[in-house]
Amino acid sequence: MALQLTNSSTQKQELEMRSITKLSLVVAALVLTGTAVQAQTNNASITATANVQTPINVLGAQQLNFGNVFPGVNKSIAATDLTNAGRFDVTGQASSPVTISFTLPATLGSAGNTMPIVSYTGVHAQNNAQTGGTAFSPAAGASPSLNASGALWVWVGAQVQPATNQAAGVYTGSITMTVVY
Amino acid sequence: MINMNRESLVVLGVMLLAAPLLAQGKPLTVTGVRGLTFGAVLPGVPRVILRTDPANSGQFDIKGPKGGPVLLSFVLPLSMTGPGGALMPIVFGAGDAGFSSTQSIGSQVGFDPKQPTTVTFPNNGSASVFVGATANPATNQRAGAYTGTITLTVTVLP
Repeated sequence: MALQLTNSSTQKQELEMRSITKLSLVVAALVLTGTAVQAQTNNASITATANVQTPINVLGAQQLNFGNVFPGVNKSIAATDLTNAGRFDVTGQASSPVTISFTLPATLGSAGNTMPIVSYTGVHAQNNAQTGGTAFSPAAGASPSLNASGALWVWVGAQVQPATNQAAGVYTGSITMTVVY
Repeated sequence: MINMNRESLVVLGVMLLAAPLLAQGKPLTVTGVRGLTFGAVLPGVPRVILRTDPANSGQFDIKGPKGGPVLLSFVLPLSMTGPGGALMPIVFGAGDAGFSSTQSIGSQVGFDPKQPTTVTFPNNGSASVFVGATANPATNQRAGAYTGTITLTVTVLP
């Protein structure tokens, strides 16, 4: 009787051990499977960076002024004329090369009358006194660089050709300069 | 006891078998190695960085799977953010990403980073992904530093 009790106890222990072993197997399988699944996806990030430079700003600083013009007498204003030549002031990113181009009128107008304007000339410089300036043709444009402070000056001259019977009046026209990096 | 030992043996066998299998399929890792750098950008002038640019293209390194299909998918920014919350568009073209099974920037297969793409991973368990893009600053783009985040997700397919 006592032996039977012992055998019954042993069988019970074996059953418990077997259950524990099965459980261990299941847990192990789950852990292994879980590990494998967890490793199937991963990600990482990088950063895109850019350093935007100073935008270009153009100011029409001085008009191209021919003053009094007499019929039949051509009048020229040189681009080197600091008083009467047209002047544009440019600011932007220091020391950057830029491209300048112009829209140039072929005539000036006054109350329906026109007067030819021709022979445009230009000078660009990295200072407002034209020291070390470079002559260029506005019709062809130019590719100067802004100075170390990000500034550039551009002057424009031209010639007006009033006819001998040119109607009196104030004649105007628009000169547009475009600057891009 | 005999049954218990047999089951223990099975568990041991499974674990012993599983260990080499896990070791063979190393944990998948994705690393952002190099950022995508546009450098100095002028207002109104688009700046293009090619995926083959060794200094400025973005680079991710992937390690883990030895052979088999892998899915690559990006989360891409539409713009970079600058001073005061200013935005600058960033565009990813259809060929702006490249997969290299040799981790060489000179040996890539291009793909569209906007589309999830399946590639075959090399048997040595190492590969790289390169990415380029175009920054499109406006003519009046506010000056300053701009940043954006590019995320690559890698999924090992069964």
